[in-house]
Amino acid sequence: MHGLQRQIVEVLPRLRRLARVLARDAADADDLVQATVERALVHQGQWRPGTRLDSWMFRIMKNAWIDESRARNRRGRVFAPEAQGDVIGLDGAAAMQARLQAGEVARAMARLPDEQRLAVALVLVEGLSYKEAAEVLEVPAGTLTSRLVRGRMALLAELEGDAA
Amino acid sequence: MTGDERLIAFVDGELAPEEAARFEAEMAADPGLAARVARHRALADRLSAIYAPVLEEPIPPQLLSAASAANDAAPRAARRPPPWAALAASLLVGVVAGRLAWPSSAPLAEEGGRLTATGHLARALSTGLAAQPGVVKVGLTFRTADGRYCRTFASTPDRLAGLACRDDGHWTARTVTAWAPRPQSVYRQAGSDTPPEVLASVDSLMAGEPLDAAAERAARDKGWK
Repeated sequence: MHGLQRQIVEVLPRLRRLARVLARDAADADDLVQATVERALVHQGQWRPGTRLDSWMFRIMKNAWIDESRARNRRGRVFAPEAQGDVIGLDGAAAMQARLQAGEVARAMARLPDEQRLAVALVLVEGLSYKEAAEVLEVPAGTLTSRLVRGRMALLAELEGDAA
Repeated sequence: MTGDERLIAFVDGELAPEEAARFEAEMAADPGLAARVARHRALADRLSAIYAPVLEEPIPPQLLSAASAANDAAPRAARRPPPWAALAASLLVGVVAGRLAWPSSAPLAEEGGRLTATGHLARALSTGLAAQPGVVKVGLTFRTADGRYCRTFASTPDRLAGLACRDDGHWTARTVTAWAPRPQSVYRQAGSDTPPEVLASVDSLMAGEPLDAAAERAARDKGWK
C-alpha cells in the first residue's frame, strides 16, 4: 500500500460529499468519485507530495464533472435532479421536515449554473478558503468571489423567494 | 470589492481582522446589514449541515477498491464488485487504510449471510501451521468459549487479513480487513503484522490461551473438530 493510496482513502469521504453536491443522485455521485480516483492514480506523478491532496483531487473531480456535464449537454439530457430525499440518510417521520428542507436546498443548488455550484460547494460545503477554492477551480480570486456572490444570491432568492 | 462581496467575505471569515472589525461596527449601526448577514449565515449553516451526513456513510467497496488499484499500473476499468464484496465491507472494521483488491479466484464467498473462506484461503486455514511460510500466513490459533477453533490469517495475494472460525466444516470470517505485507521485515516478530482490528476480534473471542505448536498440529490433524 503506497502512501498516496492510503491518503486517497482518507479523502474519500470528502470526495463523496463534494460529488453528492455536484451529481444528479447518489449513484452518479459515487461514479464521479470513482472516475476521480482513477484519474488521480493515472496522473499520480503530477501530485507533489507535501501539497494538499484534497485540493488536487477536488480539481480532478471538477474536471471530470465538467467533462461529464458537457457530454451530457451534448446528448441533450436535461439536468433534472431526483427528489433528493437520498441526499442524506434520515429515518423516521421526525426527520421529514429536515428531509424536505434538504431536498429544497439540493434542488436550488441543482438549478445554479455549474460554475456557481462548484464555487458554493467548495467554500460552503467543503469549507475551503477562497484561495484554495480559486486554485481548485483554476480561476482568479475575483472570479471566485463573484461566482460565490451570484450563487448565494440565487440560492437565497430561491429558498426565501426574495433576493438578499 | 462590491458590498455583497464584502458581506459574504465577512460571513466566510475572509476579511482581514481590521476589515472585519470595521464591518462589525457597520453592522452594529445598520440593522438591515445585520439581517442580511444573518440570512447568509443561515444559508451557509444549512448547506454544510445537509451534506455533512455523507461523511459518516460507509465507503462503498468499489471505491476502496479503486483507490487501492495496482500501485503503478493504470487502474482497472470500473467493474462490479464480486457478490461478497458488500458483506466483506460490512465486516471491515475501523478506517480501512489498506488495499482491497479482488483477485480472480475469490478467497471468500457469501453463504447464507456468512462470509466463508474458499479456495486457497480455506486450504491454508485448514492445513496451514503458524510456522509455515506461504502466501497465506496463519497467525494465532485459539478456541472460543463454545469450543470452536479460530485462526487469524493474512493473505498476500488477496491483500486481506482477518479472523475466521470453524463452523460446520467451514471457516467463517469474523473480521476481514485490508492488509498488505510490510516489505523488508526479515526480523519481524511473528504476529506483529496483525492489524489491530483483527487483534481486537481475537481478544473478544478467545477463551484461554492461544494453541501452541503441538496443540495446533493436533487440532489440524483431527480436522478442527
